[in-house]
Amino acid sequence: MAPRTVAPFGPQHPVLPEPIQLKITYEDEKVVDVVPAIGYGHRGIEKACELNEYPKNIYLCERICGICSCIHGISYCEVVERLWPIDVPPRAKYLRTIWSEMSRTHSHLLWLGLLADAFGFESMFMQFWRIREKVLDLLEMTTGQRVTQSISVVGGVRRDIDDEQKKKCIEVLREVRKESEALINVLANDYTVKARTVGKGVLTKEQAIALGCTGPHLRASGVKEDCRMQGLQAYGDLGFEPIVEKDGDCYARTLVRCRELLQAIDLQLEAFSKMPEGEIAVRPKGNPPANEAVYRAEQPRGEVFYYAKGNGTRNLERLRVRTPTYANIPSLLVMLPGCELPDVPVIVLSIDPCISCTER
Amino acid sequence: MIENIKEVKKDELLAEVKKFADAKARFVTAVCNDLGDKLEVTYFFNMSPGMEMHGLRMTVGKDEEVPSTTGIFLTTVLIENEMKEMFGLKVKDIAIDFGGHMLLAQDSPVTPMLKTGAAGGKGGE
Amino acid sequence: MPLMLPTVIRNFFGGYATRLYPFKDVREPFVRARGHIEFDENKCILCGNCARRCPAAAIEINKEKNELVFNAAHCIICEVCAEACNKDAIRVEPKWRAPFYSKPVEVHHPKGKEKAS
Repeated sequence: MAPRTVAPFGPQHPVLPEPIQLKITYEDEKVVDVVPAIGYGHRGIEKACELNEYPKNIYLCERICGICSCIHGISYCEVVERLWPIDVPPRAKYLRTIWSEMSRTHSHLLWLGLLADAFGFESMFMQFWRIREKVLDLLEMTTGQRVTQSISVVGGVRRDIDDEQKKKCIEVLREVRKESEALINVLANDYTVKARTVGKGVLTKEQAIALGCTGPHLRASGVKEDCRMQGLQAYGDLGFEPIVEKDGDCYARTLVRCRELLQAIDLQLEAFSKMPEGEIAVRPKGNPPANEAVYRAEQPRGEVFYYAKGNGTRNLERLRVRTPTYANIPSLLVMLPGCELPDVPVIVLSIDPCISCTER
Repeated sequence: MIENIKEVKKDELLAEVKKFADAKARFVTAVCNDLGDKLEVTYFFNMSPGMEMHGLRMTVGKDEEVPSTTGIFLTTVLIENEMKEMFGLKVKDIAIDFGGHMLLAQDSPVTPMLKTGAAGGKGGE
Repeated sequence: MPLMLPTVIRNFFGGYATRLYPFKDVREPFVRARGHIEFDENKCILCGNCARRCPAAAIEINKEKNELVFNAAHCIICEVCAEACNKDAIRVEPKWRAPFYSKPVEVHHPKGKEKAS
């Protein structure tokens, strides 16, 4: 038997923007065992949410994660609205959908860039991030900020998109779609990319369900499951259909995200064309009643789970957030053993890890 | 109100979770609540494929031991460790036991999520 | 590589995708961007609406001393204070605050109440 070495992967590693440590046991260059160690970015946000008044928590929840911050804010508002329950005006629902999809667009562009970076395709990385900048500009134009949009309040949204902005959005989104298509063509068909991703980190359908994976990771293994299928917000009107691949390897996960990127742009364009006129917010009456509610939304990385319990005061009794990466980390314990050392970064990246999100 | 939640006893938990595993359900997450003198743990499962969610709720005393579900769903490793260190829920035989230091460090407050722990934003007092 | 060729060629002849920052100015912020907030001492009546709602606790009100203390480094520019203000005394400007070495604390002495009486 070859001698075994234990080497840490992370918490500081070029492919990981955030700190997670994987203690990997190698036999020569083959991985035989993995133990994840998290806890570098724990901030106690769940506890802070109990101590804060409920409208202030929106801004705290947005800071759980930088990339999906918009959807965190919206999901928090939705779960608190379910305590009353409050019915949000239809235009606000459409606006929430548009901003959610816009964050999905920029998040997937970011991830595709990082993937290219992970296997050393630097110029591809630059290209994706160049396109992403246009989407971030749109977010700044419509919401006021690039990253933490703070756009949702309990009962609706804070800003409207006027006709001029709408025209600009549609124009830029079409441009983004065209440019992404050209790059995705390279990413999906280039033989160097295929050599690094096809057949790596395979997860079967049964394994994916048993390990509780979510999001593109789950759909790449052939499970047709997406929180947007619930038809909440405006997704019910938009004829949403989840994107599924069968192979369950890194290449399938890349393809799911590529196709979701284009789908997200299409959903935005459709939502813009169907958006009804009207109010954008209603005022909640009184404090959240003593009740409990759950809400699940689809983030770029997968399903986010919000649980809220009110007690009739301005503070919440309990708020629990389960972020997508929290559910996806256990799948690494199955995918990594058996793979080669150079494939570790690509497989780890293929779950789109977001660690600060995980630890809250 | 949350739909489809079933109250279970501590001893029935594993048998009930096994039923979900046999039905090819996907484990979503568990939520722990501090009820004052007791802890309430709710396990959520998604009936795959589809978006229907079911829950199992059990109420246990703060010093009672509860069985680990990691033998059935490996993915509960993280959440059980978290409940153990945040609420002091006594889970026995977790597949990978981080020993109360998965998220918290050596000098962190102990069981900070309890209503009596780390209250008022004062930190570990 | 051949698939990437059109992009490579376009990169060669397409000019810069970024701004040549130190030599050229940065892009103007959008009209409704949230850059920083400014207080109007002539309008503020020290009602405390902003301080109560601020999620980052960046505003402190001291009625005895007739002072409004604004901790700019704590501010997350969420615009909640500007929405809560009944007197339009808080304005959101699109320009970013310049980076700083020490955390600035602004002390305002509002005169709105004297004017109203």
